[in-house]
This record gives sequence, C-alpha cells and structure tokens, in this order.
Amino acid sequence: MRALYTAASGMAAQETAVQVISNNIANLRTTGYKKQRAEFEDLLYEHVRRVGTQTTDQGNVLPVGVDIGTGVKTVATPRMMGPGSPSQTGNPLDLMIRGDGFFKIQMPDGTFAYTRDGSFNLDGQGRLVTNSGNLVQPGITFPANASQISVNQNGQVSVVLPGQTNPTIVGQLDVTRFINPVGLQPVGDNLYVETPASGAAQDGVPNTNGAGNILQGNLEAANVDAVTEISDLISAQRAYEMNSKVVSASDQMLQAVSNLSR
Amino acid sequence: MENASLIGLSAQIALGRELDVVANNVANLNTNGFKAYSSLFEEYLSPVARANNFIGPDRRVSYVQDRATMLDLSQGPLQRTGNPLDVAIDGDAFFAVQTPQGERYTRNGVFQIDATGQLVTSDGYVVLGDAGPIVFQADDHDISINAQGTVSVLSGQNTLDAARGKLRLMSFAQPQRLQSDGSNTFTAPADVQATPASEKVRVVQGAIEKSNVRGVVEMTRLIEVSRAYTTMASLLQSESDLRKSAIQSLSEVPT
Repeated sequence: MRALYTAASGMAAQETAVQVISNNIANLRTTGYKKQRAEFEDLLYEHVRRVGTQTTDQGNVLPVGVDIGTGVKTVATPRMMGPGSPSQTGNPLDLMIRGDGFFKIQMPDGTFAYTRDGSFNLDGQGRLVTNSGNLVQPGITFPANASQISVNQNGQVSVVLPGQTNPTIVGQLDVTRFINPVGLQPVGDNLYVETPASGAAQDGVPNTNGAGNILQGNLEAANVDAVTEISDLISAQRAYEMNSKVVSASDQMLQAVSNLSR
Repeated sequence: MENASLIGLSAQIALGRELDVVANNVANLNTNGFKAYSSLFEEYLSPVARANNFIGPDRRVSYVQDRATMLDLSQGPLQRTGNPLDVAIDGDAFFAVQTPQGERYTRNGVFQIDATGQLVTSDGYVVLGDAGPIVFQADDHDISINAQGTVSVLSGQNTLDAARGKLRLMSFAQPQRLQSDGSNTFTAPADVQATPASEKVRVVQGAIEKSNVRGVVEMTRLIEVSRAYTTMASLLQSESDLRKSAIQSLSEVPT
C-alpha cells in the first residue's frame, strides 16, 4: 500500500518544517538573524494511464489520465534576507547595515566570513573585533587614548584624540555584497561563508552601488515575525496530524485485508 | 459465483488507488503551488454471456474501474510573505521554467537569484521571461514586479527603475491535460498549446500561492475510502463464508 509511504514522506516534511520554525523562534532575539523557510515540492508521479493516449482509431484521446503522486520532498530552506528592525542601543560600536550587504570578518584560519551582526568590541590591542574575537575587515585599530568613536553612513570611522578638537579618521569599514545572498552557507555564530551559489564577494563602500549604509548605535534585530512563525507552526502541526491519519487509515485497510484469510 | 469476489477485488483496487491519491494530497498540504488530484471511478459492465429469456433476466455484472485522476486547478490561498522574490499568480496561468528536459510550467512562484544573477526556482531551473531568462546585475537592488509581471530594479545609484524583463505567463486551452512532473512542475503534452495568458491574469509580488488541498475534504474522503474498503472486505468475507458452507453442505454425501 503506497499511501503508507506517501503519508510518511508528508510526516517527514512537516517535521522538517517544525524544525525550521523552531530554529526561527529560538533565534527570535539573535542580532542579525535571518529567518529560514522550509519549501516543499511534490515527488514523482506514476502515470498509470497517460493523459492524451489515443483510445480509438478514430482519434479519441484521453482528456485526463491517472497520475498517482508519491509524496513530498523538502527542496530548500532558503533564508529570507529582508531587513530586521533597528534596535537602538546607544553603544558606539554597535553597527547596523541599513540595506544590502554584510560585514566582512576574518576567521582565525585566515578565511573570510560574513555577518549582519554588527555588535563589535575592541580587543586588548585596540582592534575592532566581533563578540567571538574575530577581526573585522578591513582591520581598524583604535589609538589607546581615543574617545568619541563615530562611524558615519559611509562607513568612515573617526575618533577624537586628546588635545584635539577635530576628529581623526582611523579607518573605513567595507560592506560586502553578494548577487545571491540566499546562497551563502551559514556556519553558526551569526556567520556565513561564500559558496559557488552565492557568487563572488563584492567589497564596496557603504552607501554606494546598492550597498547599504551604516547606522551607528543600533543593532539589527532578527527578521523573525513571531505571529507568522506560530501560524506556520499550527499549519505544520495540523498537516502532520492529517498525514498520521492517512497512515492509520492505510493500516486499517491493510488489517481488513489480512483479516480476509482467516 | 466468484463474481462477487471479483467485484469486491475491483472495488478494493480502485479504493487503494484513491487512498494513494488522498495520501499524496495530504502529503502536499503545505507545498507551494500544489494542485490537488481527485479520483474518478467508472462502472465497467462485464460483457459475459447472460440469459435474458427468464422472467427475471440476469443482470450484467458491473465492476468498478478508476478511469482518471482529475487535476483541481482552482486557486490556492495566497500567503503574504513580503519577500520580493515571492510571486503568486492570481488567475488562470502558469510560470514557464526551463528544465534540462525542456520547458515546464509551475504555479510555485518562490524564486531565487543564482550566482550568475539569473532568476531561478528553488531547484535552480531558470525562470523564463518574454525575452529569455531574467538576469540581474551585481549592483541591482529594490526588485519590484508589477501586476503584469514586469520585473524592474533600481541599479546602483540610479533613482529610475530599469526593466529586467517580463515574466512569461502561459495559459492552456485544456489545462486538465497537463501532466504532473514532480518538483511542482507540469508538462504540456505535444498537442496542448501554451498561449500567453490573458490580460486579466494578475501577478502579486511578496505573496506565495499555497497548496489548494483542503484538509477537511481530504479527511472526509479518507474516512469514506477506509470505510468503503472495510465494507468491501467484510463483503468478501461473507461471500467466502457462503462458498465454504456451500461446499460443506453440498459435499455431504447421503449415506
């Protein structure tokens, strides 16, 4: 009885959906988190009676055939790259990208990763680092006695040095864009790495050529919408239940068959 | 005498098939752009010899046969997502996508941009526009798709929209003859012509068309199928009992 396996594929798909939704809800308050969505497609069809078959020599054709589907598969869990809302913190090293693009981070092994989480800090040597201590690219080092750190819309970082009234520029932040940001691979810690699907990284100055601008003193909240997630959860759970009903119905029918030969 | 069991068998085969159809619908309850199937049964009159000369003439034996699975092409509910690359069709049309096997049609308007900037489906199939694939440039942003399916973007520092193509929307004179191909796509048989969709068809950006499977209907059909199946099984059982007792009583040779 194929219905049993078809329903099982449905249950497995809804389980994936619940898993994706639970990850979104768990990251409801993760800075720069982008929600995911489970997407499904129907599986192959068995064409029992092919539509359009000629049934008589006079040229009558079947207007509809018998096509039996075999279930559902999870095809992708793409990320929704829509913006999260800014949450004001007042911390001068909390940065947010308004618009497209990612901050570029250097990993301990020398490779680059990308993030939307702009909650940066300074390390012991005055370098701009992420919460995990990875360097923000291009590297910016703050003089030990600097005060009043300010980052403008175009990513220019300036400080005021003691005894001076005019700010001194200490560096320039880049924003990296990808033609297909959904194709980036998440590696945890709010970081993504480049893949063949994402296209090559295009480093650029914030606020130019489609790159977003920098907003200082704000962090980007997760773009998870709790109401949508809960309604998706309900629909996934109900779909799971209905699939389990199909499993028990096929079970009953099989039982009826096995009771035939007493 | 065996007719009853053969009729029961034909009903059970048909019901088993219908259960498969229901199971596939339920499994695709949350598949974007999925269209539900329903089974269509037909009576098959057996052409065996029968006697019409008696007062109560023999009736022809009628079996059941599953003749078709009908595609329910009604509109699925639209869910707003706000994602600029989610597109739903409001009306009677399909998106055209290029697969390695040729052109296919889909109602699933969940699109992505691939590494070369082309508009693709989640499977990586190129979405066709009126003039070939729709390709975005590296510095394009703020993608907007209007009700007619024209895709426009803001490119770089420009403040004026630049067109990137128009989604190809196709309709069919006999959409029921489309054949499901899996992966949310349909194939058109050679003699079913795809024609550009009428002006009335509207494209909605930022929304997806959910599956048009109605849970309540499928559950009702499920109950109906499993009850009918059990009834058929008990009918077969009584028929078998009947035969057993016939054999027993008839084989008792009087001494």
